[in-house]
Amino acid sequence: MARAESGAGAKRARRAHRTGRPNRFVEHIFAEGLIVAAILGWWLLSLGMPDYVMPGPLVVGEALVRLFIEPEFLGHTIWSTIRVVAAVIIAVLLGWALAQLPLRYPIAREIVHDRIKPFLNSFPSVGWAILAVIWFGTSDGSIIFVEVAILTPFCLVNISEGLKELDRELIEMGQSFTRSRWKTFFKITVPLLMPYVMAAVRIAYGVGWKIALVAELFGAETGLGFLMQRAQTLADASTVFATCFAIVLIFFAGEKLVIDPLARRFQHR
Amino acid sequence: MKIANPRAAGRQARLAAHAFTLFALGVWAVYGLLVESYVMPGPAAVAVRLGEFVLDIHLLKHVLYTIGHILAAVVISFLIGSASALLAFYFPPSRLMVHGRLSPFLNSFSGIGWTLLAVVWFGINDFTVVFAISAVLVPFAIINMREGLDGLDADLFEMGESFTRRRFRRFLLIVIPSLYPFIFATLRISFGVAWKVALTAELLGGNTGLGYLLNLARQDFDMPLLLAVIIIIIAFVYSTDRFVFVPIQARLARHHGAG
Repeated sequence: MARAESGAGAKRARRAHRTGRPNRFVEHIFAEGLIVAAILGWWLLSLGMPDYVMPGPLVVGEALVRLFIEPEFLGHTIWSTIRVVAAVIIAVLLGWALAQLPLRYPIAREIVHDRIKPFLNSFPSVGWAILAVIWFGTSDGSIIFVEVAILTPFCLVNISEGLKELDRELIEMGQSFTRSRWKTFFKITVPLLMPYVMAAVRIAYGVGWKIALVAELFGAETGLGFLMQRAQTLADASTVFATCFAIVLIFFAGEKLVIDPLARRFQHR
Repeated sequence: MKIANPRAAGRQARLAAHAFTLFALGVWAVYGLLVESYVMPGPAAVAVRLGEFVLDIHLLKHVLYTIGHILAAVVISFLIGSASALLAFYFPPSRLMVHGRLSPFLNSFSGIGWTLLAVVWFGINDFTVVFAISAVLVPFAIINMREGLDGLDADLFEMGESFTRRRFRRFLLIVIPSLYPFIFATLRISFGVAWKVALTAELLGGNTGLGYLLNLARQDFDMPLLLAVIIIIIAFVYSTDRFVFVPIQARLARHHGAG
Protein backbone atom coordinates (compact mmCIF):
# COMPACT_ATOMS: atom_id res chain seq x y z
CA MET A 1 0.00 0.00 0.00
CA ALA A 2 2.70 2.36 1.03
CA ARG A 3 4.63 1.53 -2.09
CA ALA A 4 1.62 2.03 -4.31
CA GLU A 5 1.05 5.38 -2.68
CA SER A 6 4.60 6.49 -3.15
CA GLY A 7 4.39 5.29 -6.72
CA ALA A 8 1.28 7.38 -7.27
CA GLY A 9 2.99 10.27 -5.54
CA ALA A 10 5.99 10.02 -7.79
CA LYS A 11 3.72 9.87 -10.79
CA ARG A 12 1.86 12.92 -9.63
CA ALA A 13 5.12 14.71 -9.02
CA ARG A 14 6.29 13.85 -12.51
CA ARG A 15 3.05 15.07 -13.99
CA ALA A 16 3.31 18.20 -11.90
CA HIS A 17 6.77 18.71 -13.27
CA ARG A 18 5.57 18.32 -16.81
CA THR A 19 2.53 20.55 -16.48
CA GLY A 20 4.69 22.85 -14.38
CA ARG A 21 2.45 23.24 -11.36
CA PRO A 22 4.71 23.04 -8.32
CA ASN A 23 4.01 23.66 -4.69
CA ARG A 24 2.17 26.98 -4.20
CA PHE A 25 4.18 27.72 -1.09
CA VAL A 26 7.54 27.41 -2.84
CA GLU A 27 6.21 29.50 -5.71
CA HIS A 28 5.24 32.27 -3.33
CA ILE A 29 8.64 32.18 -1.63
CA PHE A 30 10.28 32.84 -4.98
CA ALA A 31 7.73 35.43 -6.12
CA GLU A 32 7.68 37.44 -2.91
CA GLY A 33 11.42 36.85 -2.55
CA LEU A 34 11.94 38.66 -5.84
CA ILE A 35 10.03 41.68 -4.56
CA VAL A 36 11.97 41.76 -1.30
CA ALA A 37 15.26 41.28 -3.14
CA ALA A 38 14.37 44.02 -5.62
CA ILE A 39 13.50 46.51 -2.91
CA LEU A 40 16.59 45.56 -0.92
CA GLY A 41 18.81 45.87 -3.97
CA TRP A 42 17.24 49.20 -4.82
CA TRP A 43 17.81 50.44 -1.27
CA LEU A 44 21.47 49.36 -1.33
CA LEU A 45 21.96 50.99 -4.72
CA SER A 46 20.38 54.22 -3.53
CA LEU A 47 22.60 54.45 -0.45
CA GLY A 48 25.61 55.78 -2.29
CA MET A 49 23.68 58.05 -4.64
CA PRO A 50 22.02 61.43 -4.30
CA ASP A 51 18.21 61.54 -4.29
CA TYR A 52 17.98 63.26 -7.65
CA VAL A 53 19.72 60.32 -9.34
CA MET A 54 18.50 57.31 -7.40
CA PRO A 55 16.04 58.00 -4.60
CA GLY A 56 15.65 55.18 -2.10
CA PRO A 57 12.45 53.16 -1.59
CA LEU A 58 11.49 55.20 1.49
CA VAL A 59 11.63 58.57 -0.25
CA VAL A 60 9.71 57.21 -3.22
CA GLY A 61 7.19 55.57 -0.88
CA GLU A 62 6.55 58.94 0.77
CA ALA A 63 6.09 60.61 -2.61
CA LEU A 64 3.73 57.81 -3.64
CA VAL A 65 1.57 58.24 -0.56
CA ARG A 66 1.47 61.96 -1.25
CA LEU A 67 0.06 61.28 -4.72
CA PHE A 68 -2.99 59.62 -3.18
CA ILE A 69 -3.45 61.84 -0.13
CA GLU A 70 -2.51 65.46 -0.73
CA PRO A 71 -5.38 67.21 -2.53
CA GLU A 72 -3.14 68.87 -5.13
CA PHE A 73 -1.54 65.61 -6.21
CA LEU A 74 -4.73 63.60 -5.83
CA GLY A 75 -6.33 66.03 -8.29
CA HIS A 76 -3.71 65.17 -10.93
CA THR A 77 -4.19 61.46 -10.31
CA ILE A 78 -7.96 61.73 -10.65
CA TRP A 79 -7.78 63.85 -13.80
CA SER A 80 -5.57 61.30 -15.53
CA THR A 81 -7.91 58.49 -14.49
CA ILE A 82 -11.01 60.30 -15.76
CA ARG A 83 -9.38 61.01 -19.11
CA VAL A 84 -8.21 57.42 -19.56
CA VAL A 85 -11.67 56.06 -18.73
CA ALA A 86 -13.38 58.52 -21.08
CA ALA A 87 -10.92 57.71 -23.87
CA VAL A 88 -11.40 53.96 -23.42
CA ILE A 89 -15.19 54.29 -23.66
CA ILE A 90 -15.06 56.53 -26.74
CA ALA A 91 -12.41 54.36 -28.44
CA VAL A 92 -14.38 51.15 -27.86
CA LEU A 93 -17.57 52.68 -29.27
CA LEU A 94 -15.73 54.20 -32.23
CA GLY A 95 -13.82 50.99 -32.94
CA TRP A 96 -17.05 49.03 -32.71
CA ALA A 97 -18.84 51.36 -35.10
CA LEU A 98 -15.96 51.08 -37.59
CA ALA A 99 -15.99 47.29 -37.25
CA GLN A 100 -19.74 47.12 -37.92
CA LEU A 101 -19.57 49.37 -40.96
CA PRO A 102 -18.39 46.71 -43.47
CA LEU A 103 -21.13 44.34 -42.28
CA ARG A 104 -23.83 46.87 -43.01
CA TYR A 105 -22.18 48.21 -46.19
CA PRO A 106 -19.90 45.52 -47.71
CA ILE A 107 -18.42 48.10 -50.06
CA ALA A 108 -16.69 49.74 -47.08
CA ARG A 109 -14.71 46.61 -46.23
CA GLU A 110 -11.43 47.74 -47.79
CA ILE A 111 -11.91 51.32 -46.66
CA VAL A 112 -11.99 50.16 -43.05
CA HIS A 113 -9.51 47.28 -43.15
CA ASP A 114 -7.05 48.43 -45.81
CA ARG A 115 -7.05 52.16 -45.25
CA ILE A 116 -8.30 53.31 -41.85
CA LYS A 117 -6.94 50.39 -39.82
CA PRO A 118 -3.33 50.35 -41.10
CA PHE A 119 -3.24 54.15 -41.04
CA LEU A 120 -4.29 54.41 -37.41
CA ASN A 121 -2.21 51.39 -36.51
CA SER A 122 1.05 52.77 -37.79
CA PHE A 123 0.52 56.42 -36.89
CA PRO A 124 3.10 57.27 -34.20
CA SER A 125 1.53 58.20 -30.85
CA VAL A 126 3.94 61.07 -30.25
CA GLY A 127 2.85 62.37 -33.64
CA TRP A 128 -0.75 62.58 -32.43
CA ALA A 129 0.38 64.25 -29.22
CA ILE A 130 2.30 66.96 -31.07
CA LEU A 131 -0.39 67.53 -33.69
CA ALA A 132 -3.18 67.73 -31.10
CA VAL A 133 -1.43 70.54 -29.27
CA ILE A 134 -0.92 72.46 -32.51
CA TRP A 135 -4.50 71.86 -33.65
CA PHE A 136 -6.50 72.14 -30.44
CA GLY A 137 -4.15 73.81 -27.98
CA THR A 138 -3.70 72.53 -24.46
CA SER A 139 -6.98 71.17 -23.18
CA ASP A 140 -8.65 68.05 -21.85
CA GLY A 141 -10.27 67.60 -25.25
CA SER A 142 -6.91 67.48 -27.00
CA ILE A 143 -5.57 64.87 -24.56
CA ILE A 144 -8.65 62.68 -24.93
CA PHE A 145 -8.35 63.07 -28.71
CA VAL A 146 -4.78 61.73 -28.59
CA GLU A 147 -5.76 58.79 -26.39
CA VAL A 148 -8.77 57.92 -28.55
CA ALA A 149 -6.67 58.13 -31.73
CA ILE A 150 -4.16 55.67 -30.28
CA LEU A 151 -6.67 53.27 -28.73
CA THR A 152 -9.21 53.03 -31.57
CA PRO A 153 -7.18 50.65 -33.81
CA PHE A 154 -6.78 48.16 -30.93
CA CYS A 155 -10.54 48.13 -30.38
CA LEU A 156 -11.24 47.91 -34.11
CA VAL A 157 -8.98 44.88 -34.51
CA ASN A 158 -10.48 43.03 -31.55
CA ILE A 159 -14.11 43.70 -32.29
CA SER A 160 -13.81 42.86 -35.99
CA GLU A 161 -12.22 39.58 -34.89
CA GLY A 162 -15.31 38.99 -32.76
CA LEU A 163 -17.68 39.89 -35.59
CA LYS A 164 -15.89 37.35 -37.79
CA GLU A 165 -16.55 34.59 -35.24
CA LEU A 166 -20.19 35.59 -34.80
CA ASP A 167 -22.70 32.83 -35.39
CA ARG A 168 -24.35 33.78 -38.70
CA GLU A 169 -27.17 31.29 -38.21
CA LEU A 170 -28.24 32.88 -34.96
CA ILE A 171 -28.45 36.25 -36.68
CA GLU A 172 -30.39 34.76 -39.57
CA MET A 173 -32.76 33.21 -37.08
CA GLY A 174 -33.17 36.62 -35.49
CA GLN A 175 -33.91 38.16 -38.87
CA SER A 176 -36.65 35.61 -39.43
CA PHE A 177 -38.30 36.76 -36.20
CA THR A 178 -38.17 40.48 -36.72
CA ARG A 179 -37.40 42.90 -39.55
CA SER A 180 -36.08 45.51 -37.18
CA ARG A 181 -32.30 45.72 -37.57
CA TRP A 182 -31.97 47.44 -34.22
CA LYS A 183 -33.81 44.65 -32.47
CA THR A 184 -31.58 41.90 -33.91
CA PHE A 185 -28.55 44.05 -33.16
CA PHE A 186 -29.36 44.58 -29.50
CA LYS A 187 -30.90 41.18 -28.80
CA ILE A 188 -28.41 38.98 -30.67
CA THR A 189 -25.29 40.71 -31.94
CA VAL A 190 -24.52 42.67 -28.79
CA PRO A 191 -24.78 39.75 -26.32
CA LEU A 192 -22.76 37.49 -28.61
CA LEU A 193 -20.11 40.13 -29.11
CA MET A 194 -19.77 41.13 -25.46
CA PRO A 195 -16.72 38.90 -24.67
CA TYR A 196 -14.83 40.51 -27.56
CA VAL A 197 -15.92 43.97 -26.51
CA MET A 198 -14.66 43.23 -23.02
CA ALA A 199 -11.34 42.02 -24.45
CA ALA A 200 -11.14 45.30 -26.36
CA VAL A 201 -11.90 47.24 -23.17
CA ARG A 202 -9.19 45.32 -21.33
CA ILE A 203 -6.57 45.98 -23.98
CA ALA A 204 -7.59 49.60 -24.41
CA TYR A 205 -7.43 50.14 -20.66
CA GLY A 206 -3.94 48.63 -20.46
CA VAL A 207 -2.59 50.55 -23.43
CA GLY A 208 -4.50 53.65 -22.32
CA TRP A 209 -2.55 53.94 -19.09
CA LYS A 210 0.70 53.41 -20.95
CA ILE A 211 0.07 56.18 -23.41
CA ALA A 212 -1.67 58.53 -20.98
CA LEU A 213 1.73 59.98 -20.16
CA VAL A 214 2.57 60.45 -23.84
CA ALA A 215 -0.73 62.21 -24.39
CA GLU A 216 -0.17 64.47 -21.40
CA LEU A 217 3.40 65.21 -22.37
CA PHE A 218 2.80 68.38 -24.38
CA GLY A 219 -0.81 69.33 -23.96
CA ALA A 220 -1.54 69.12 -20.26
CA GLU A 221 -1.71 71.37 -17.26
CA THR A 222 -3.12 68.60 -15.12
CA GLY A 223 -2.55 64.89 -14.78
CA LEU A 224 0.21 62.50 -13.89
CA GLY A 225 2.05 63.11 -17.17
CA PHE A 226 2.24 66.82 -16.41
CA LEU A 227 3.38 66.01 -12.87
CA MET A 228 6.07 63.67 -14.12
CA GLN A 229 7.28 66.14 -16.71
CA ARG A 230 7.47 68.90 -14.10
CA ALA A 231 9.28 66.61 -11.65
CA GLN A 232 11.82 65.78 -14.33
CA THR A 233 12.65 69.41 -15.03
CA LEU A 234 12.97 69.98 -11.26
CA ALA A 235 15.34 66.95 -11.01
CA ASP A 236 12.86 65.36 -8.60
CA ALA A 237 13.51 61.72 -9.44
CA SER A 238 11.48 60.45 -6.49
CA THR A 239 8.28 61.94 -7.94
CA VAL A 240 9.10 60.45 -11.36
CA PHE A 241 9.40 57.05 -9.69
CA ALA A 242 6.28 57.60 -7.59
CA THR A 243 4.19 58.57 -10.64
CA CYS A 244 5.24 55.37 -12.39
CA PHE A 245 4.30 53.28 -9.37
CA ALA A 246 1.03 55.16 -8.94
CA ILE A 247 0.12 54.19 -12.51
CA VAL A 248 1.03 50.56 -11.83
CA LEU A 249 -1.24 50.61 -8.74
CA ILE A 250 -4.20 52.34 -10.40
CA PHE A 251 -3.89 50.06 -13.41
CA PHE A 252 -4.07 46.93 -11.26
CA ALA A 253 -6.89 48.30 -9.11
CA GLY A 254 -8.96 49.11 -12.20
CA GLU A 255 -8.34 45.73 -13.74
CA LYS A 256 -9.13 43.72 -10.61
CA LEU A 257 -12.03 45.84 -9.33
CA VAL A 258 -13.78 46.87 -12.55
CA ILE A 259 -12.68 44.98 -15.63
CA ASP A 260 -12.41 41.45 -14.20
CA PRO A 261 -15.92 41.52 -12.65
CA LEU A 262 -17.37 43.04 -15.82
CA ALA A 263 -15.68 40.41 -17.98
CA ARG A 264 -17.03 37.63 -15.76
CA ARG A 265 -20.49 39.16 -15.94
CA PHE A 266 -20.47 39.08 -19.75
CA GLN A 267 -18.84 35.70 -20.23
CA HIS A 268 -20.76 33.19 -22.32
CA ARG A 269 -22.58 30.73 -20.16
CA MET B 1 -25.82 47.01 -53.46
CA LYS B 2 -26.80 43.43 -54.29
CA ILE B 3 -23.97 41.91 -56.26
CA ALA B 4 -23.99 38.19 -56.88
CA ASN B 5 -20.45 37.99 -58.27
CA PRO B 6 -17.92 38.06 -55.42
CA ARG B 7 -15.11 39.21 -57.73
CA ALA B 8 -17.14 42.18 -58.87
CA ALA B 9 -17.89 42.93 -55.22
CA GLY B 10 -14.16 42.79 -54.45
CA ARG B 11 -13.39 45.15 -57.30
CA GLN B 12 -16.07 47.56 -56.10
CA ALA B 13 -14.69 47.48 -52.57
CA ARG B 14 -11.20 48.20 -53.92
CA LEU B 15 -12.50 51.08 -56.00
CA ALA B 16 -14.30 52.44 -52.97
CA ALA B 17 -11.06 52.22 -50.98
CA HIS B 18 -9.15 54.18 -53.65
CA ALA B 19 -11.94 56.71 -53.81
CA PHE B 20 -11.72 57.04 -50.04
CA THR B 21 -7.97 57.71 -50.25
CA LEU B 22 -8.53 60.42 -52.86
CA PHE B 23 -11.37 61.85 -50.80
CA ALA B 24 -9.18 62.01 -47.67
CA LEU B 25 -6.39 63.73 -49.61
CA GLY B 26 -8.96 66.14 -51.03
CA VAL B 27 -10.32 67.02 -47.59
CA TRP B 28 -6.76 67.56 -46.38
CA ALA B 29 -5.98 69.82 -49.37
CA VAL B 30 -9.12 71.93 -48.86
CA TYR B 31 -8.54 72.15 -45.11
CA GLY B 32 -4.91 73.12 -45.74
CA LEU B 33 -6.11 76.02 -47.89
CA LEU B 34 -8.53 77.23 -45.24
CA VAL B 35 -6.21 77.36 -42.23
CA GLU B 36 -2.78 78.86 -41.64
CA SER B 37 0.09 76.73 -42.92
CA TYR B 38 1.59 76.34 -39.45
CA VAL B 39 -1.64 74.67 -38.34
CA MET B 40 -2.03 72.36 -41.30
CA PRO B 41 0.03 72.63 -44.50
CA GLY B 42 -1.53 71.10 -47.62
CA PRO B 43 -0.44 67.78 -49.13
CA ALA B 44 1.66 69.52 -51.78
CA ALA B 45 3.83 71.37 -49.26
CA VAL B 46 4.32 68.17 -47.28
CA ALA B 47 5.18 66.21 -50.43
CA VAL B 48 7.84 68.79 -51.33
CA ARG B 49 9.32 68.56 -47.83
CA LEU B 50 9.21 64.78 -48.04
CA GLY B 51 11.17 64.93 -51.31
CA GLU B 52 13.80 67.19 -49.73
CA PHE B 53 13.98 64.84 -46.79
CA VAL B 54 14.65 61.77 -48.88
CA LEU B 55 17.41 63.58 -50.78
CA ASP B 56 19.06 65.04 -47.67
CA ILE B 57 21.68 62.67 -46.32
CA HIS B 58 21.73 64.39 -42.90
CA LEU B 59 18.04 63.78 -42.41
CA LEU B 60 18.14 60.24 -43.78
CA LYS B 61 20.84 59.42 -41.27
CA HIS B 62 18.20 59.75 -38.53
CA VAL B 63 16.08 57.06 -40.14
CA LEU B 64 19.04 54.70 -39.89
CA TYR B 65 19.60 55.65 -36.27
CA THR B 66 16.00 54.88 -35.40
CA ILE B 67 16.18 51.52 -37.18
CA GLY B 68 19.40 50.77 -35.30
CA HIS B 69 17.81 51.62 -31.93
CA ILE B 70 14.83 49.43 -32.72
CA LEU B 71 16.84 46.43 -33.90
CA ALA B 72 19.13 46.58 -30.88
CA ALA B 73 16.19 46.83 -28.48
CA VAL B 74 14.25 44.03 -30.18
CA VAL B 75 17.23 41.68 -29.94
CA ILE B 76 18.07 42.57 -26.32
CA SER B 77 14.48 42.34 -25.10
CA PHE B 78 13.99 39.08 -26.97
CA LEU B 79 17.00 37.53 -25.25
CA ILE B 80 15.99 38.75 -21.78
CA GLY B 81 12.33 37.87 -22.28
CA SER B 82 13.02 34.36 -23.61
CA ALA B 83 15.53 33.73 -20.84
CA SER B 84 12.88 34.67 -18.23
CA ALA B 85 10.21 32.52 -19.92
CA LEU B 86 12.63 29.58 -20.14
CA LEU B 87 13.57 30.00 -16.49
CA ALA B 88 9.91 29.78 -15.51
CA PHE B 89 9.46 26.76 -17.77
CA TYR B 90 12.48 24.69 -16.70
CA PHE B 91 12.41 25.78 -13.07
CA PRO B 92 8.69 25.70 -12.16
CA PRO B 93 9.02 27.19 -8.65
CA SER B 94 9.92 30.46 -10.34
CA ARG B 95 6.72 30.55 -12.42
CA LEU B 96 4.79 32.87 -10.15
CA MET B 97 7.86 35.04 -9.79
CA VAL B 98 8.22 35.53 -13.55
CA HIS B 99 4.60 35.48 -14.71
CA GLY B 100 2.93 36.78 -11.59
CA ARG B 101 5.34 39.48 -10.50
CA LEU B 102 8.04 40.41 -13.02
CA SER B 103 5.98 40.45 -16.20
CA PRO B 104 2.89 42.32 -14.87
CA PHE B 105 5.16 44.88 -13.23
CA LEU B 106 7.15 45.54 -16.38
CA ASN B 107 3.95 45.45 -18.39
CA SER B 108 2.32 48.25 -16.44
CA PHE B 109 5.40 50.41 -15.88
CA SER B 110 5.16 53.32 -18.27
CA GLY B 111 7.60 53.71 -21.13
CA ILE B 112 7.99 57.42 -20.49
CA GLY B 113 8.86 56.63 -16.90
CA TRP B 114 11.71 54.41 -18.06
CA THR B 115 12.85 57.07 -20.49
CA LEU B 116 12.89 59.89 -17.95
CA LEU B 117 14.67 57.72 -15.39
CA ALA B 118 17.18 56.53 -17.98
CA VAL B 119 17.89 60.15 -18.89
CA VAL B 120 18.77 60.83 -15.26
CA TRP B 121 20.86 57.68 -14.99
CA PHE B 122 22.67 57.53 -18.32
CA GLY B 123 22.22 60.99 -19.86
CA ILE B 124 20.85 61.82 -23.29
CA ASN B 125 22.33 59.27 -25.68
CA ASP B 126 21.70 56.14 -27.73
CA PHE B 127 22.05 53.86 -24.73
CA THR B 128 19.18 55.59 -22.93
CA VAL B 129 16.96 55.14 -25.97
CA VAL B 130 17.79 51.45 -26.38
CA PHE B 131 17.36 50.87 -22.64
CA ALA B 132 13.92 52.48 -22.56
CA ILE B 133 12.67 50.58 -25.61
CA SER B 134 14.02 47.26 -24.30
CA ALA B 135 12.38 47.78 -20.90
CA VAL B 136 9.02 48.22 -22.60
CA LEU B 137 9.50 45.23 -24.92
CA VAL B 138 10.63 42.63 -22.36
CA PRO B 139 7.12 41.84 -21.00
CA PHE B 140 5.80 41.35 -24.55
CA ALA B 141 8.60 38.85 -25.16
CA ILE B 142 7.92 37.02 -21.87
CA ILE B 143 4.17 36.76 -22.54
CA ASN B 144 4.60 35.52 -26.10
CA MET B 145 7.33 33.02 -25.39
CA ARG B 146 5.32 31.69 -22.46
CA GLU B 147 2.43 31.11 -24.80
CA GLY B 148 4.71 29.04 -27.02
CA LEU B 149 6.33 27.07 -24.20
CA ASP B 150 2.98 26.27 -22.56
CA GLY B 151 1.66 24.98 -25.87
CA LEU B 152 4.57 22.59 -26.45
CA ASP B 153 3.51 19.10 -27.44
CA ALA B 154 4.04 16.84 -24.40
CA ASP B 155 4.07 13.70 -26.56
CA LEU B 156 6.83 15.11 -28.71
CA PHE B 157 8.75 15.80 -25.55
CA GLU B 158 8.38 12.26 -24.32
CA MET B 159 9.50 10.95 -27.66
CA GLY B 160 12.57 13.14 -27.37
CA GLU B 161 13.27 11.79 -23.90
CA SER B 162 13.22 8.26 -25.26
CA PHE B 163 15.80 9.18 -27.88
CA THR B 164 18.35 11.03 -25.84
CA ARG B 165 19.05 11.89 -22.24
CA ARG B 166 20.91 15.03 -23.16
CA ARG B 167 18.72 17.98 -22.25
CA PHE B 168 20.54 20.42 -24.44
CA ARG B 169 20.14 18.21 -27.49
CA ARG B 170 16.41 17.92 -26.85
CA PHE B 171 16.20 21.65 -26.37
CA LEU B 172 17.98 22.33 -29.63
CA LEU B 173 16.17 19.75 -31.75
CA ILE B 174 12.66 19.80 -30.29
CA VAL B 175 11.94 22.85 -28.18
CA ILE B 176 13.46 25.50 -30.42
CA PRO B 177 11.90 24.29 -33.69
CA SER B 178 8.46 23.99 -32.08
CA LEU B 179 8.85 27.55 -30.90
CA TYR B 180 9.59 29.05 -34.33
CA PRO B 181 6.08 30.45 -34.88
CA PHE B 182 6.09 32.03 -31.43
CA ILE B 183 9.59 33.42 -31.81
CA PHE B 184 8.40 34.99 -35.01
CA ALA B 185 5.22 36.35 -33.40
CA THR B 186 7.30 37.81 -30.59
CA LEU B 187 9.63 39.57 -33.02
CA ARG B 188 6.72 40.89 -35.04
CA ILE B 189 4.88 42.30 -32.03
CA SER B 190 8.10 43.67 -30.54
CA PHE B 191 8.92 45.39 -33.79
CA GLY B 192 5.49 47.03 -33.98
CA VAL B 193 5.58 48.23 -30.39
CA ALA B 194 9.23 49.28 -30.66
CA TRP B 195 8.42 51.82 -33.36
CA LYS B 196 5.91 53.58 -31.15
CA VAL B 197 8.13 53.58 -28.08
CA ALA B 198 11.27 54.47 -30.01
CA LEU B 199 9.89 57.85 -31.06
CA THR B 200 8.96 58.81 -27.51
CA ALA B 201 12.29 57.61 -26.18
CA GLU B 202 14.24 59.49 -28.85
CA LEU B 203 12.16 62.59 -28.34
CA LEU B 204 12.87 62.75 -24.62
CA GLY B 205 16.17 60.97 -24.26
CA GLY B 206 18.00 60.93 -27.58
CA ASN B 207 20.01 63.21 -29.78
CA THR B 208 19.54 61.09 -32.90
CA GLY B 209 16.67 59.41 -34.68
CA LEU B 210 13.25 60.32 -36.03
CA GLY B 211 11.87 61.10 -32.57
CA TYR B 212 14.57 63.70 -32.15
CA LEU B 213 13.63 65.16 -35.53
CA LEU B 214 9.97 65.28 -34.48
CA ASN B 215 10.99 67.27 -31.43
CA LEU B 216 13.03 69.71 -33.54
CA ALA B 217 10.11 70.13 -35.92
CA ARG B 218 7.77 70.71 -32.99
CA GLN B 219 9.99 73.37 -31.46
CA ASP B 220 10.37 75.19 -34.79
CA PHE B 221 6.66 74.79 -35.66
CA ASP B 222 7.94 73.17 -38.86
CA MET B 223 4.66 71.44 -39.71
CA PRO B 224 5.74 70.18 -43.16
CA LEU B 225 8.75 68.42 -41.63
CA LEU B 226 6.59 67.07 -38.80
CA LEU B 227 4.08 65.57 -41.22
CA ALA B 228 6.84 64.33 -43.54
CA VAL B 229 8.45 62.42 -40.66
CA ILE B 230 5.07 60.98 -39.66
CA ILE B 231 4.43 59.87 -43.26
CA ILE B 232 7.84 58.20 -43.42
CA ILE B 233 7.09 56.36 -40.20
CA ILE B 234 3.67 55.18 -41.38
CA ALA B 235 5.11 54.04 -44.72
CA PHE B 236 7.93 52.18 -43.03
CA VAL B 237 5.83 50.46 -40.38
CA TYR B 238 3.18 49.47 -42.90
CA SER B 239 5.58 48.17 -45.54
CA THR B 240 7.72 46.13 -43.13
CA ASP B 241 4.60 44.46 -41.84
CA ARG B 242 3.13 43.91 -45.26
CA PHE B 243 6.27 42.91 -47.19
CA VAL B 244 8.45 41.29 -44.52
CA PHE B 245 6.35 39.87 -41.71
CA VAL B 246 3.21 38.74 -43.54
CA PRO B 247 5.14 36.68 -46.17
CA ILE B 248 7.37 35.09 -43.51
CA GLN B 249 4.33 34.26 -41.44
CA ALA B 250 2.63 32.67 -44.44
CA ARG B 251 5.72 30.51 -45.01
CA LEU B 252 5.93 29.50 -41.37
CA ALA B 253 2.24 28.64 -41.33
CA ARG B 254 2.72 26.40 -44.35
CA HIS B 255 5.77 24.74 -42.86
CA HIS B 256 4.31 24.14 -39.43
CA GLY B 257 0.84 23.22 -40.64
CA ALA B 258 -2.35 24.59 -39.19
CA GLY B 259 -1.36 23.76 -35.60
